[in-house]
Amino acid sequence: MSNPKRAILIRLFAVLLFAIPAADAAETGYTLRATEVKDKPFLDAATVVTLPEKTQVEIVTRQGAWMQIKTREVKSGWVRMLSVRLGNPDQKPQTSGNLLSAIGIGNRPRTTSSSTVTTGVRGFSEEDLAKAAPNPAEVEKMKGFAVTPGEAGSFASAGKLAAQEVAYFDDDGKPLKVKK
Amino acid sequence: MSALRMLITGLVVFAAATLGACKSGGGFSVENINLDTVVKSVGNLRQVKEPEEIQIGDGMAETLLGASPLLDDPELQKYVNGIGMWVALQSERPNLPWHFGVNSSDHINAFAAPGGYVIVTKGMMMQLRNEAELAGVLGHEISHVTRKHHLNALRKSALVNLLGEGVSAATDSKHAELVKQLAGPTKELYARGLDKSDEFEADRIGVVLAARAGYDPYGLPAVLTTLATADPKDNFLSLLYKTHPLPQVRLDKLAPGLGTLDGIKAPQNASRFQLLTRKLRVAASQ
Repeated sequence: MSNPKRAILIRLFAVLLFAIPAADAAETGYTLRATEVKDKPFLDAATVVTLPEKTQVEIVTRQGAWMQIKTREVKSGWVRMLSVRLGNPDQKPQTSGNLLSAIGIGNRPRTTSSSTVTTGVRGFSEEDLAKAAPNPAEVEKMKGFAVTPGEAGSFASAGKLAAQEVAYFDDDGKPLKVKK
Repeated sequence: MSALRMLITGLVVFAAATLGACKSGGGFSVENINLDTVVKSVGNLRQVKEPEEIQIGDGMAETLLGASPLLDDPELQKYVNGIGMWVALQSERPNLPWHFGVNSSDHINAFAAPGGYVIVTKGMMMQLRNEAELAGVLGHEISHVTRKHHLNALRKSALVNLLGEGVSAATDSKHAELVKQLAGPTKELYARGLDKSDEFEADRIGVVLAARAGYDPYGLPAVLTTLATADPKDNFLSLLYKTHPLPQVRLDKLAPGLGTLDGIKAPQNASRFQLLTRKLRVAASQ
């Protein structure tokens, strides 16, 4: 491949990269209660430090029940997802149409700093529901996108998903032996 | 006289006899009867069979998609059906005709209708980080179907009795009549929402279905933590909040059971999800 062509491709790739709105920029949150920070995402892993309630954290990633976080003092550690509330403790509740933007990720364009509110409100408000006329054509269209169980299996394999045996649980969190 | 008309007349007569309301000499005309009242009086007479359940769901889906049509993104629609079907296959009702769709609404919500219909709003898709989160949302909706939450709520208004023998062997005109009859109760039900206990149950079953499908089971809890940051008065969330318990309450209720799923380390498939939903984010950022 000649160099100019390669340069164009690289430039194209770069444009593409930047055209995709950031989806995994840093998210922030704060501890809902005093929270142990573990060095690995396991209950019996060593505790690095215990954060007091309402400590601001930066969320690096999520894995099962755990969030990898960092704070001003802690370079890296793992806390329980359910111990963290997204946003920051002094922030007012979000009223924008896009929550992920408000907490640091989501459809935030890289070119401008603030365009978090979706314009052109339309769709499924209670009012829309009230005045809805049945739309049989859309239901037929929806049926056209159906996949077969076999196709779903292939889709799962492509996504490295393997079916697991997991029991339902009751309101108290006790596993249910009988299938519901 | 159509079969439906005959059935209605039958119900009316039955109701009237039951209530002792058919006074002699009183004018009695089928046209003047409030169907709702009649059917409520008759109450729940029988179980709904699966073909009828599917037909009811079909009719309800017509009204739901009448409120907001499908998003014009065949690739995304097919993708959501792939995830949804795979999750539904882990349920007790893998053989229902499952149909999944993303509608065009900016509101943040998801809906299920009897017989295997699940609709997620575009607004909800925009809040999700990965496939595991979507699988959790779909798992919650699939549970409403497998546990017949909407069907049972509808049975309380007993309109489904209209689907009696004969009527369920639908011709097009009978189906249209059914949809017409269902539209009112459908709107009422989706504006009012299900019982809180149904929502908590759908959360419990939803995380398990996602886990059975091989996903990180904390997808649904992650979505709930996102929703928990929102102002309950947010216009985009008004219907979700009116019809569901608050996200933090749902997380608290789910917490004991989530403990049983602690040891699972499973894929979230963020890159596949981000790729397939890229168009949504590009459109929103322009």
